[in-house]
Amino acid sequence: MDGATTDTTTTEHDEARASLQATSATDPTMAALKAGLSGTSDDGVTELFLEGADWESVADAVGDETLILNMGPQHPSTHGVLRLVLELDGEIVTNLTPIIGYLHTGIEKSAEYRNWVQGTTFFTRMDYLSPLHNELAYCLGVERLLDIEVPARAQAVRVILTEFNRIASHYVWLATGGMELGSTTVMTYGFREREHILDLFESQSGLRMNHAYIRPGGLANAVTDDFVERCEALLKRIPEKLGEFEDLLTRNPIWNDRLRGIGVIDAERALALGVTGPLLRAAGVAHDLRKVAPYSGIEQYDFDVPTSTDGDSYARYTVRLEEMRQSLRIIRQALDTLPSGPVMVADKHIAAPSQQQLGADGMGNDPAYIRHIMGESMEALINHFKLTTEGFTVPAGQVYSAIESPRGELGYAITSIGSNKPWRVHVREPSFVNLQAAREMTRGHQVADVIAVVASIDPVMGGVDR
Amino acid sequence: MNHADLAAHITARFPAVTTSEAHGELTVHADAATLVALLTFCRDDEGIGCELLADLSGVHWPAGGHTIERQPTTTGWPTFRFSEKEGVVEVLYILRSIRHGHVLRVAVATDDADPRLPSVTRIYETANFHEREVYDFFGVEFDGHPDLTRILMPDDWVGHPHRKDYPLGGVDVPYKNDKMIPPPDERAIREVVR
Repeated sequence: MDGATTDTTTTEHDEARASLQATSATDPTMAALKAGLSGTSDDGVTELFLEGADWESVADAVGDETLILNMGPQHPSTHGVLRLVLELDGEIVTNLTPIIGYLHTGIEKSAEYRNWVQGTTFFTRMDYLSPLHNELAYCLGVERLLDIEVPARAQAVRVILTEFNRIASHYVWLATGGMELGSTTVMTYGFREREHILDLFESQSGLRMNHAYIRPGGLANAVTDDFVERCEALLKRIPEKLGEFEDLLTRNPIWNDRLRGIGVIDAERALALGVTGPLLRAAGVAHDLRKVAPYSGIEQYDFDVPTSTDGDSYARYTVRLEEMRQSLRIIRQALDTLPSGPVMVADKHIAAPSQQQLGADGMGNDPAYIRHIMGESMEALINHFKLTTEGFTVPAGQVYSAIESPRGELGYAITSIGSNKPWRVHVREPSFVNLQAAREMTRGHQVADVIAVVASIDPVMGGVDR
Repeated sequence: MNHADLAAHITARFPAVTTSEAHGELTVHADAATLVALLTFCRDDEGIGCELLADLSGVHWPAGGHTIERQPTTTGWPTFRFSEKEGVVEVLYILRSIRHGHVLRVAVATDDADPRLPSVTRIYETANFHEREVYDFFGVEFDGHPDLTRILMPDDWVGHPHRKDYPLGGVDVPYKNDKMIPPPDERAIREVVR
């Protein structure tokens, strides 16, 4: 910034200050504000007017009373638009109330007015750090209602991609969590490594996020010829880079001081509050839906469920790091046994009509199929248009399909009345539920620890608010 | 315990409830009066042992207007017991046992003109946010909830958006010369039943 600009800014600021002082000289309320106290409001709460850097006047004014501090919704360490209302006794948090809904987009309601396939394009946008998990959980539910079995190759690819997605999501957690505790190196490393996984997603689905790649009945298109090669490159790269994170963090005194003993929750309380995922496993419960209720053939792969008994933020760090290694194990086995064959069910009433291949321009096309519907078969053309406009119908019924997302149990409660649109889709979002535990986990800690606790919960506001 | 044993175990204790099984899932149909006792039993009974309330959601079934075939033969799903004469809000509780690894659904219906159910926050604390969400979206009053306020919609919102009688649609957009362009209606794609 050059000198002239600085001068202008200072002058403007001084003018604003002068005008404020002029107002306060005439207006008795403003005069009271300037003095630090506005008197009391209707409900007897003292309200303060602050200009920043005047914390001493706050301390004088508050005295022994409770200070209610509003944190967010636009605060860099509240993971998006989360608002936390803190009740403080000095520096100690006595209560925390999360206020959510700032990112509510009515996805569940909108999905009721679209057909079943279009649903994936909505749900993939909820928890934007694990889009493939959202697609998978929804599609598993629809497939259970349809009573169809997805081909083995599609199942294996689903497992490979969702496990890569878990690693990518944990990378972002490391990156944002590290940044919030002051480690910008971890932030750059985390986002850099995630890019490589997003490259894989882009090469298969055409999109780096919000893929809508997993569809009811299988996958939107077959994987590319270099799919295995790309996965192998990642399998080689990720373990090395995970070592870098461990070198940076595991014995880092600041990381340890900020996380150990912070945000402790035991297994019993975690279950009462509905907490699942890495938080529950860090509290000592080896509960993982991939083991308890396996999906997509994940039961044929050998992996461990990492746990810890400490239940604090540091335990969540170690659990998540080990989960990334276990995901690599799953991917390794899935790649070794990757079956060949189709990636979409054979039923022409359900399957997406064409298996488009991704071109170099990022667009999909299938010349042989276009020749078939445009030149050879009228019935195929009719079927194509019925499927792409009306979609297929799903038999009436209700299912609850749950999978283990990076943040815990991600459940889709789907209700169908036998039409081509869902009657109701409710999403059990792990971030939404886990956030309830923040109050208990921060009580008695200092304000700075609230950041560490919220980071260790790893809420994604797109999922919380839906 | 498999689903048949679970169903027998529950109906032995609560003769009034009915059970059904579809898509590999067990559903227990209860009423508002037995809800709290039933969920307490499901949590505390050693054989059922559902420590976790995995999900709580609502579904609105408005009165009349359903010409949808229920397809009981193809799905095994029982005919929806909610008559078309009176509208109901159905609240679904998904209970999960981590010890035993099973899941069951408890379904309770309440009149949609004055939806009211007892709160289960005393049994499962996690129901707090879920019940606020169902109140926000369906207007179900949960008696005994510690802080029943809107959670996702703004505090001053009028109406409960997930009810089927709540209109979906855009807003009229004012253009120049005070022209109002009506919202697009392509959201109402034709409902198809086969």
